[in-house]
Formats: sequence, structure tokens, C-alpha cells
Amino acid sequence: MAEFAGITAAPRSSQRIAPMIQDHRATAAIQAVKPLPMWSPYKRRIKRDLDRWQSMGWVSGESRAAILADVEASGREFGLAPALGVIASILFGFAAISFVAAHWQEMPRLGRLMLLLATIWSGYGAAGWLNTRGLAQFADAAILFAVGMFGASIMLISQMYNIGGDPADGVLMWWIGALFAGIALRSNPALALAMILVCLWSFFETSQRHAVHWAFLIGWFMVTAAFIWQRWQPGFHLSALTLAAFVVSLGYQLDDGHQHDLVVLIGVIAAGAAVALEKFRPDVDAALGHFASPSFAYALAVALAGLFALQFFETPPLGKLIALAAVALILILAGIAYALSTGNRGALWIGYIGFSAEILTLYGVTIGTILGTSLFFLIAAMIVSLLAYVALRLARQSASTGRPA
Amino acid sequence: MISNRKLIWPLLALVAIVQSAALFDMVRARDSLLKSGREITLAVQPVDPRDIFRGDYVTLGYDISRLKTPNAQTDFPPGAASVGSDVYVTLAGATDGSWTLTRVGSAYPSAVAPGETVLKGRVNSIWRDESAGQTFINVRYGIENYFVPEGTGRVLEDKVRSHEIKAIVAVATDGTAALKGLIVDGERHEDPPLL
Repeated sequence: MAEFAGITAAPRSSQRIAPMIQDHRATAAIQAVKPLPMWSPYKRRIKRDLDRWQSMGWVSGESRAAILADVEASGREFGLAPALGVIASILFGFAAISFVAAHWQEMPRLGRLMLLLATIWSGYGAAGWLNTRGLAQFADAAILFAVGMFGASIMLISQMYNIGGDPADGVLMWWIGALFAGIALRSNPALALAMILVCLWSFFETSQRHAVHWAFLIGWFMVTAAFIWQRWQPGFHLSALTLAAFVVSLGYQLDDGHQHDLVVLIGVIAAGAAVALEKFRPDVDAALGHFASPSFAYALAVALAGLFALQFFETPPLGKLIALAAVALILILAGIAYALSTGNRGALWIGYIGFSAEILTLYGVTIGTILGTSLFFLIAAMIVSLLAYVALRLARQSASTGRPA
Repeated sequence: MISNRKLIWPLLALVAIVQSAALFDMVRARDSLLKSGREITLAVQPVDPRDIFRGDYVTLGYDISRLKTPNAQTDFPPGAASVGSDVYVTLAGATDGSWTLTRVGSAYPSAVAPGETVLKGRVNSIWRDESAGQTFINVRYGIENYFVPEGTGRVLEDKVRSHEIKAIVAVATDGTAALKGLIVDGERHEDPPLL
């Protein structure tokens, strides 16, 4: 997926499409680079690019060192140790729950309540202690543990009072608690958990009521606002992903599950808005943290998911299927072309995946019918020629203007 | 994580207090419903005894769990019921302590006799029998799960074979119901209120 900051955008496409002939020195330089002990693809890539630029004489050794130092200093990457810390906190949570479950009946009921509260307080206490020792990311893991114990307490109190069969209310209380902790303590993992819980809550409500759970949007908006306030990019992706999933689910819920045209419409409009933002108001897009590029990718995925349902879930007559398939393929091609021209890696992948899925499923559906395989091969041939033509044009355009397509 | 060292402890305490208060309020609300709610006993429908205590909780079925429409007392047309909608059932108490269904409606009844109590439920599923022209509505009241202590299920299970099992239910004035405990062979199994 393309980063929201748009760091990856420009050099990417030139690597892909631009003629590589004059790059033989660069290739040698790339091969000379040893495997790097880094987790971040960005850091790895900038180092590789810097080696290349230095070998071309564009960057001095001094500048290279300065740039690398800056990347190292500014990169607030999620390293291995904090990741293990988060996993450890989840394991601590499970340990606490199984201890409570094993000794539950031997404990007086007031004691149970006190024990639950004690685990929550110890989580926040550990977070404070870790934070004063400068281990902010481990403190985040401790907060995650405490929020997890808050949810476990809700479940165990429900059990104490024989409240069963309505998990949605419990999850509602849990995500509000997680969101509150995330905002008050500015803890991104807690906010991410809140977003996941909003989805879980919505899932329970939907499966209970068999109707669209519009309140999901309230929860989604609140957590997303917190992500924006925190300027946390993985959170934006989580927001976009969950909203995209909600929009796609609308197609299966509204109008007895036959509203996929609405999904396509929303996806296309959102994709168009993202393109317009990127093309006509790049200043606004930059102010919003380059959010148009990933939004385009998610919108494209939504539109394709809707078209996919229209073609293969609804079983339309053959004529309509062909028309829809043509629309889908044109949309995929346009998406791929636009992704190539803007260096949108996420949209490019969605285009590739959508194309493969579309062709394979079309093949599966049309096989055995009279038109069957010949139609499939005809479509595939047309698509591939179109793709080749688009790629050729883009490559020429980039060669003539001398800048990345 | 917040970077302000001065604020960190007060904020951590605030979050811990608010979450604890939310849990405490959950306990308090449930406790007061159990204490102040009107107590009724409902016969638990015979459940396959081998199946009833399989996990650490039992699923209880009641006569009012499965409503049949149309019937004489209902102002609840079959078309009005949709999955997830609220159902209000009115029960009349008899002198022997049993409660029988008198009315079913989609809103809280305007007039309730002193000997009657109203339970609020939610439609869980609907099944239409086209040939008989009847609709069966499966309703949940939030009293369907009884959590049993680990290891004690077998003792209760033996008693359940005789099917002499009743549920003690506390009903709030708005119809919300809470499962207080079970009466097995005339013996009450119930946790005392916490607060």
C-alpha cells in the first residue's frame, strides 16, 4: 500500500517503466549493497537509491551520510522490541484471564471484582513506570494490556450476572473504554484496538438484527478523528480499510442484498474525488498528508468489489455479464494506468489483483457455455493488447518529457 | 504514548478510574435490578438432559421463548415482527406461583393489572409455517444463559433429568429481565447481591 506521506511516490514509477539501459552501473551498485539490518522498506530503499545516486555523482558522500542520519533520526519505526512487547502484553492478558478463570469459583464475588480492577490498575501502573523510564513503546504495550483487561472484566462481570447472548452491548462498552484510553493517553495501539472493536461491535449488531448497522459510522468517525489528531498513518489505513469493508457490506445488506450498484457508485465517486484532489488541488492534498493516493487505492478496491458482486454473485444474463465485465476491465485498466502515472503502488497492486481475479472468474463462469473459452480468450487477448498499448504510450511519454511518467 | 511527564500519572489515574467506574456501574445496575426487580418464576422447558450442562453455562428455554401468532391475545400481527425488533409479553401470576402468557405486543402495554408483569424481549428469529398459516417468533429476553460453577454441572444435570427446574427472574418496571438463579427440585440456587 502506498504510504500516506507519499514518500514512495516519485522514484517508484521511474524504476518500473523508464528504460533501464543507462542503469547498468546502478544495477552493479544495487548488487554491491549488503543485506541491511533494517525493518523499514523505506530506509532500505533510500539507502539503495542513495548508493545509486552517489555512483552517478549526484550526491556526495557527505550528503549521503547526512541524509541517512536524518532518516535514522526521524524514522519513528516500530522496531522488533516494541513489537515483542505488544505480543508479550497480549500473553500477559491471556495469563491473567486463565488464572482468573481457574480460580474464579473459589473467590468471593467481591474479591473477583477487586481482582479484575487490580489487573487494570496494574496495567496502567506499569505503563506509567515504563514511560518515566523512557520506554514509551513498552508503555503503549502496557496500556494495551490494561484495555484488554477492561474488556475481559466486562465479560467476566456479564458471566457473574448471567448476562449472556448479547455480546454487542459489552463490546460497545469496551470500544468506548479503549477509545477513551487511547485519546487520554495518546496511545495508538489502544486506538487501533478501539477501531477493531467498533468493527466487532458492528458485526454482532448486524448478525443480531439483520439490518445495516449505521451506528458503525459514528464509532468509525470517532476513532478516525482520534487517528487524525494523532497523525498516525497506520491508523489512517485501518480507517480506510474498515470503511471500505463497510461500504462493500452495504451491497449485501441493503435491498435484500442486491445493492451492489450503489457500492460501485460510491467507489467510483470516491476514486474520482481522489483523482481530482491529486490533480487539481495538490496543495490541499499535501496539507491533508497526501491522503488522495491511498484513498484512490481503497476506492478502486470498493468499486471492483461491487462490480465483482454484480457479475458473479448476482448471476446476470450473459449480455449483461459481458457489459459489466467490459466496465470492470476498463475500470481496472484506467486504475492501473493512473496508478502507474502517479506512482501509486497500492492502487497498482489492487489493479493487478483485480485483473487476475476478474479474468480467472470470468473464465470459470463462461467455461462450458457455448461462447465459453473462445469468448474468454478473445477478452483476455483484447485486454492484454490494451495493456501493452497503454504501457508503451506511458513509456514514450516519460522518455519524451524526460521525467517520470 | 503521551510525552508530557508531568501529566502522565494524573491521566493514567483518570483512565483507570473512569474504566473502573464503568465496570462498577455495570455491577451496580445489575445488582439493583436483581434486588428491586419484581421476582417471578418461570418453568424451564425440558431440554435434552445430556445437552443442558455441556459448557460452563446452560441455555434455558421458556414457554415465552417461542411465540405463536396469530393467537387470541396478541395485538402483534405477524407482519409487524422483524428480527431485532422489541416484543413485550404480559404475564399473569397464578396463586400457585406460575406465570402464564396473556398478551403479546410491540409496545409496552398501556394498562397493566396488579397481578401482571411485563417482560421485554427481542425477536431472535421468525419462522413461518405457510400450510398452517401460523408464524413462530423466537424471542430472547436476556435470561437464556445460566453460568454454572465449573465442576458442579454434573450434580445439577442429574437433577435436571426429572425436569423439575424453574428460573428465578427479576423484572424491572420497564420490562428488562435478569436471571437471578434457578430452582432445582424446590431448592434455590442463587448468588446473593454483591453490594
